[in-house]
Amino acid sequence: MAESSELLHGTLDTLVLKTLAWGPRHGYAIARWIASTTDDTLLIEEGSLYPALYRMERRGLIEAEWGLSDTKRKVKVYRLTDEGRARLSVETAQWQRFATAVAKVLLPNQEPTHA
Amino acid sequence: MPELGRFARELRARLWKPAVEDEVASEMAYHMEMLEQDLVAQGVSPADARAQARARFGSVDRVAAECVAEGEARDTERRRFEWRAELSQDLRQGWRQLANAPRFAFVTISTLAVGLGAATIIYAIAHAVMLRPLPFPDADRLLLISERNPSGQEFAISESNFLDWQARTTSFSSAAIFEARRMAMRTERGPEGVRGAVATHTLFPTLGVGAALGRTFLPEEDRRGGDVRVAVISHGLWERQFSSDRGIVGRSIDLDGRSHRIVGVMPAGFDFPGRTDVWLPLVPIPEYPRGDHRNEGVARLKAGVTMSQARQELEGVAAQLATEYEDNRGWSAAVRPFREWYVSPQLNARMLVLLSTVALLLGMACVNVANLLLARAATREREMAVRAALGAGRWRMVRQLLTESLLLSAIGAAGGIALAAALVPIIRATGSEAIPRLAGLVIDWRVLAVAIPICVGTGVLFGLAPAARLLRGARAGDRVHDLLRSGTRVADAGRSRQALIVMSVAFATILLVGAGLVGTSFRRLMSVDPGFVPSRVVVANVTLPDSAYDEERAIVYVEEATRRLRALPGVRAAGATNLVPFSGGNTAMDFAAAERATAEKEGYRSGSWRVVTPGYFQTVGIPLLRGRAFSGEDRFREDTNDATDRVVIVNDLLADAAWPGRDPIGQRLALSNGATMTVIGVVGATRHLTLDSLPRPTMYFAHAQFPWKSMWFTVTTEGDPTQVGAAMRRELQAMDGTLPVTELQPMETLVRLQAAEPRLTAMVFGIFAVAALVLVAVGLYGIVAYSVSQRTREIGVSMALGAAPAQVVRQVMSSGLRLGALGVAIGGVLSLGVAGALRSILYDTQPTEVGTYAIVGFVLLAVTVAASAVPAWRAARLDPVQALRSS
Repeated sequence: MAESSELLHGTLDTLVLKTLAWGPRHGYAIARWIASTTDDTLLIEEGSLYPALYRMERRGLIEAEWGLSDTKRKVKVYRLTDEGRARLSVETAQWQRFATAVAKVLLPNQEPTHA
Repeated sequence: MPELGRFARELRARLWKPAVEDEVASEMAYHMEMLEQDLVAQGVSPADARAQARARFGSVDRVAAECVAEGEARDTERRRFEWRAELSQDLRQGWRQLANAPRFAFVTISTLAVGLGAATIIYAIAHAVMLRPLPFPDADRLLLISERNPSGQEFAISESNFLDWQARTTSFSSAAIFEARRMAMRTERGPEGVRGAVATHTLFPTLGVGAALGRTFLPEEDRRGGDVRVAVISHGLWERQFSSDRGIVGRSIDLDGRSHRIVGVMPAGFDFPGRTDVWLPLVPIPEYPRGDHRNEGVARLKAGVTMSQARQELEGVAAQLATEYEDNRGWSAAVRPFREWYVSPQLNARMLVLLSTVALLLGMACVNVANLLLARAATREREMAVRAALGAGRWRMVRQLLTESLLLSAIGAAGGIALAAALVPIIRATGSEAIPRLAGLVIDWRVLAVAIPICVGTGVLFGLAPAARLLRGARAGDRVHDLLRSGTRVADAGRSRQALIVMSVAFATILLVGAGLVGTSFRRLMSVDPGFVPSRVVVANVTLPDSAYDEERAIVYVEEATRRLRALPGVRAAGATNLVPFSGGNTAMDFAAAERATAEKEGYRSGSWRVVTPGYFQTVGIPLLRGRAFSGEDRFREDTNDATDRVVIVNDLLADAAWPGRDPIGQRLALSNGATMTVIGVVGATRHLTLDSLPRPTMYFAHAQFPWKSMWFTVTTEGDPTQVGAAMRRELQAMDGTLPVTELQPMETLVRLQAAEPRLTAMVFGIFAVAALVLVAVGLYGIVAYSVSQRTREIGVSMALGAAPAQVVRQVMSSGLRLGALGVAIGGVLSLGVAGALRSILYDTQPTEVGTYAIVGFVLLAVTVAASAVPAWRAARLDPVQALRSS
């Protein structure tokens, strides 16, 4: 868990955004979705998740409304705003560039030759 | 416009909005529960599941606190954002409203600009003249002190009495006497007249102001035998004459032919007793004749002493002195607040009247705008109903209306302040010569600090009218439906508008009555016969310094000067006097018929006196009623050196007082200084001081018998008096190039300046009256035209049924006239109540003069008729078919 939390630190917001891109969810569902999608590789720490949600709501990346859960309880459901959607695509592109770059260094078994 | 889904969501979010703490707590509780459930589903025992869930969550309190903080910040920001968004939406909406109704916008905004502009400028004047603190520390501890003559009038102080006051009173921490004096300053360009003052060294410490450069007078500099040839100069003179030379102290200045060492420069803005450029020490002498009253006095109260205590003590001392010295018999002392030096009780009354008047005008503007807004609101009822139906809250709509009216008042205020700022230089230029401290008229933050809240306040005030109606309408239930269906107006809309119009007419009545009274008073003041004829007279002052002119030479100079002036082309007559009427000075002496004069000086009366040359009466048009004028033979006879040879001319008031029913010619007149002289002529009475001051008994002495060294020369011109001025100056200058010729001006200027305050008041009232009439006309026209447009159908029906156009006209006009007449009646009654406040500024005019009220009533009703005639005429020309088809 220690290594995964480090990984999460900068990317938690992006993961939440991506999760919500599939549809509105409440906090617990967001955590569950991330965990199951990554086959429990990325476990979201609740202590970070909720402050992150409130922070993102304040910044207008996500918005919340009170809805009913499957068990007919009042729950706070988050959804992506237009701003959040835009931010997600920026972050995704950045992540991709980053991952490609890191992959270029880490994956090849031979030193690349320069012409 | 956001899509409906989001709109609905926002609406729901607003409906159910828990406190942030509850929000966070319930969210976390739910999360834990779900976590536990999942763990139990995986086979963990419920107790363990709870423990594990707890452990995973970490410190709930810390997380919750973090979330609450974020959540609260979120809510604050959101509220602020929404508020701003709504405000800008309202502003945009308001702006669109104005742009869509340019005529409404123009009338409203210009009404407000006139009202607020008038209020701003009057407040600025009041601030400059009256409200602004005096430029002296603790000015409320300063007093004006003076003597009081046996007839109870305040009078100048004799220096010997002042010395005794100083020695015997304890109420004052310091006291000073001073006398304004014209001086001739030698410059490279020739002699220049400067206004100066002689003052005891205590003047500066009493006022509490020190020199900016150098020092003020030392105690030994106003003592006999001390180094008294010193001068303190004003900041203005220092800049003008000495190019702001910082090394000025110790250099000399040549005044009245004597050299004075400059010891100090006063700070900029220090100006006392008034427009003063040079101060010289006044050396009070204990042996000085106590009957010679020349000086004015100022004193500073000791800490803890009140003005009435000081008055009591000073009157006590004066009473002692009255028994100790023959010359003081019957004299007392007087004390006034220092502020009256600048703001006379009359000026104070004038400013208060102007302030109340402008408040009235502003009130009218507000009422009119409220009326316009109400009319506008009626036409917007559909729009409002639609907004209400779409879910806009009542307060939200009220806020929008208020925002719109604030927008209006902001634009109106900007226009008004611009108007006021444009008027400032004009008012400053026309009034500052005659009205103290008006020169400091500016529109600065201190004025705006009052003006802007007034603007905002009025904006809210008149914005409340339509808003209140909206609220009332909403309370009355689902009128929304009706409104949407038919677009009819709310029944009572007209009534509140009618009430406002009546109010506006009533205000206008009060204003016009005030203007009428002030105007009548001013006209009467201007048509007062002052007893002399100022037209075609030019005056100029020359002061002969003691250093170069003894009495003999002064007589020669004045005789020669008048002879030369008379010889000038275009000059019909020339003369001279020690004080020309309306020049701001006065002199007094007690007199009695010699046969009734007693040693105790009982039965003496106070009179004015003037020293004149033989040609004086003729030049200024004072008529000789009996006997003869002075001639060249009336002079001091060296051979006998007998004071009883002197002759006097008196005015008819004095003659009647001294010798009622008898021929005064040849009678002997006794003066309080012991002299007696023979009356040789009687002249008409003149007003010496102001147009509204009554003439006083006056005696005229011959200059050749009572030589005086500060003389006003007067010449009567054949044509335009301004043509002769330059020649007059040249001629006087040619006689003695070291003497400045000051105060050279047409005599009419003196008269005009003297009437500056009443003129300014009348002018302002006149402008206000015109503005009030325009507002009334616009307001009445608006409401009558509106009611016609509302009743188009009804009028159409009655016309279709055979009503003659004349009948329609009568009907419409009578509705306007009813409102006008009601307003005039209410306003007239109110005026009777408040016009009394004008009494102190009216001349020879009663606040209840029927004529004024009648004229005002007539004018207002005429305006009413004119304002209703246009819509009535339009109504009469309605085509019944068209009218019935409309709406």
